[in-house]
Amino acid sequence: MPLPLPRRGLLERRLVIVTGKGGTGKTSVVAALARAAAQAGRRVLVAETGREEHVPRLLDPATPPVGYAGRELQPGLTAMRIDPFEALAEYLSLQLPVRGLVSRVLRNPGFRQLMEAAPGWRELITLGKVWHMAQGRRPGGAPEFDLLLVDAPATGHGLTFLDVPRVVSSAVRAGPLRRNASLVQQMITDPDSTLLLPVALAEELPARETAELVQRLREEVGVAVDRVVVNAVTPPPFPPGLEDLDERLARLPAELHVPGLPGPRTLARCAAHLRSRHRLNAHYVGAIEAWTGLPICTLPLLPQGVRGPEDLDRLGTALLEPAAAEAA
Amino acid sequence: MTPAPAPHVLLDSRRVLVCVGTGGVGKTTISAALGLSAARRGRRVLVLTIDPAKRLADALGIRELGNEPQTLPRDVLDRLGVPPEGELSAMMLDMKRTFDDLVERFAESPEARDRILGNPIYQHVSDALAGSAEYSAMEKVYELAEQKDFDLIVLDTPPSQHALDFLEAPERLLGFLDSRVVQLLLHPAFAAGRMGFRLFQRGAQRVLRTLEKVSGVGFLQDISEFLLAFEGMSEGFRDRAHRVQALLFGPETAFLLAAGPARESVRHAESFLERLESGRAGVAGIVVNRMHLWPDAGLEPGDGADAAALEKLAEAFALSEGAGFDARAAAEATRAALRGYAALVERDAENVAPLRERARASGYFWRCVPLLDRDVHDLDGLAHVASLVLGEAERETP
Repeated sequence: MPLPLPRRGLLERRLVIVTGKGGTGKTSVVAALARAAAQAGRRVLVAETGREEHVPRLLDPATPPVGYAGRELQPGLTAMRIDPFEALAEYLSLQLPVRGLVSRVLRNPGFRQLMEAAPGWRELITLGKVWHMAQGRRPGGAPEFDLLLVDAPATGHGLTFLDVPRVVSSAVRAGPLRRNASLVQQMITDPDSTLLLPVALAEELPARETAELVQRLREEVGVAVDRVVVNAVTPPPFPPGLEDLDERLARLPAELHVPGLPGPRTLARCAAHLRSRHRLNAHYVGAIEAWTGLPICTLPLLPQGVRGPEDLDRLGTALLEPAAAEAA
Repeated sequence: MTPAPAPHVLLDSRRVLVCVGTGGVGKTTISAALGLSAARRGRRVLVLTIDPAKRLADALGIRELGNEPQTLPRDVLDRLGVPPEGELSAMMLDMKRTFDDLVERFAESPEARDRILGNPIYQHVSDALAGSAEYSAMEKVYELAEQKDFDLIVLDTPPSQHALDFLEAPERLLGFLDSRVVQLLLHPAFAAGRMGFRLFQRGAQRVLRTLEKVSGVGFLQDISEFLLAFEGMSEGFRDRAHRVQALLFGPETAFLLAAGPARESVRHAESFLERLESGRAGVAGIVVNRMHLWPDAGLEPGDGADAAALEKLAEAFALSEGAGFDARAAAEATRAALRGYAALVERDAENVAPLRERARASGYFWRCVPLLDRDVHDLDGLAHVASLVLGEAERETP
């Protein structure tokens, strides 16, 4: 029996950090969750951390970039891309009243080189900006955003990303930087408000890497994780009762010629391929559950990829279905 | 435009092959397969991965990968068809160790070395925080290439958006050491004397003072000490970074782009290609992994079965499976499965078309490796992929 998904749904958090290595469809999961959250009446902020924007284009292929300033793309759904240099400029000008000076120094090539080479600050300032966005209030005091969705860097770097506040808290002895790092650290390790959502594929290496990620999360980083999303799970290729169709095709006489169809050997090889890929897929869904000890939320394979909002809504339903089923 | 050499020529003639591409396309498998192919051609090969996950270890069946190359045992190499003069080793880069080794080598004195290794900034610089990995990787490739224990080094680069950072790593290291801010921190008096520098210096000092205030007492002091301690080493570093660059962009190195057939992956691959081409990287070929290909080469996927054809297939099923079997349902399911498969083949071919066109236009070699029925996690699987990458006939593995 598969482990039951947690009762508490993904939308009942303040901050969900979505991580997964390249190719797992992490960005589609972010976009699908964002749409589903907005449709459920949440005010949601999507923050991308990569060098390029992907979420706005998934939501609407014609939309211009949202940049650091961000933009409301549809009612209740705002997207932004956190550029570390812009975040640093904003942070420093909050600390230093002379804005012109800050931007002149930040534009200086020497200073930029120093910062390009300096480790860690990108991660810290990015998470700092997320923290800052989480503090936003509307008139009347309600939070500006009910849910913040962060598209974290791909797995290996994703953990580094979450570990930096802890490292800074231990390296820096006193002062505002330490204080800020502690605030960020408190936010991401609060299991009540923050959840890390790993996205995996049902294949051997992604499955093993997800198991490693979850283990390191538990041992080192201390961010809550309550399920694994397994993306692109293939449906059974043949109807019930015909699970061994490939073997039956192989038993047909080799010289059989059916107009419009390839020969039985080719048919059998195609069918065998579909069958073994599906078996492998199902095997690794089980393996991820066994290796991580976490319940699995599976998303269907979309053969054409995400083509538009309808596809995102399909993924959104699959992500939130357990909660919806319970509410019903 | 001169066409790039075929894969086997590259394997025979280059000292470094760099595999770049996004994550999830089986880049490590491709790298290891290329390494195995070269070893089978009689070269002494090292496959080096800097990926944080121990994928190569999985693929090569080597449990412990340290910062030292591990050579496959001779009997295993024999079984894989590697001739006596050939050799295959693998290693997973230990970033921290590589950086520490560098400090050991270039420090002016034991005191300077201890000062650097004990500095809190250094500890975090080298402690796998983003950024230093790329310096270390390129440094290690250079070191191993210099030692000449190997004829060929195949480098598997880290996945995703950081994948091309290492290209700029030597440049960034040089830029960093030469940067005016570093010079200012090291030699305030000297820097102040330079023309046109005063304004920046005043501004920078104010920002630095603010950073000091923001970052807490001691932080900037640690940075300055770190840089001072590094200064004695910077000549050695600089010289080395230049040589690393010369190797990376010289005629002895070739770049291979690995991609998958998903649309997203092809888009990423195209932008990688642009970055590689706009740099001075010598791109040699594109390998698309995990393609849905038609099993019988030369045959077009046909799914034009009409009612009569379906009837004929059902009759054949009824004959071979006997009474009590729903031959009609089997015929329908066959057609549906075939359509499903043909759709995957067509989708993949359509998705990779722009990459294929670029390969043709630029004279890169082009290889498609089919999505296999099972995962590649052992050496025999690797040998199979190797023959597919090289376009050899399928080899029997005992």
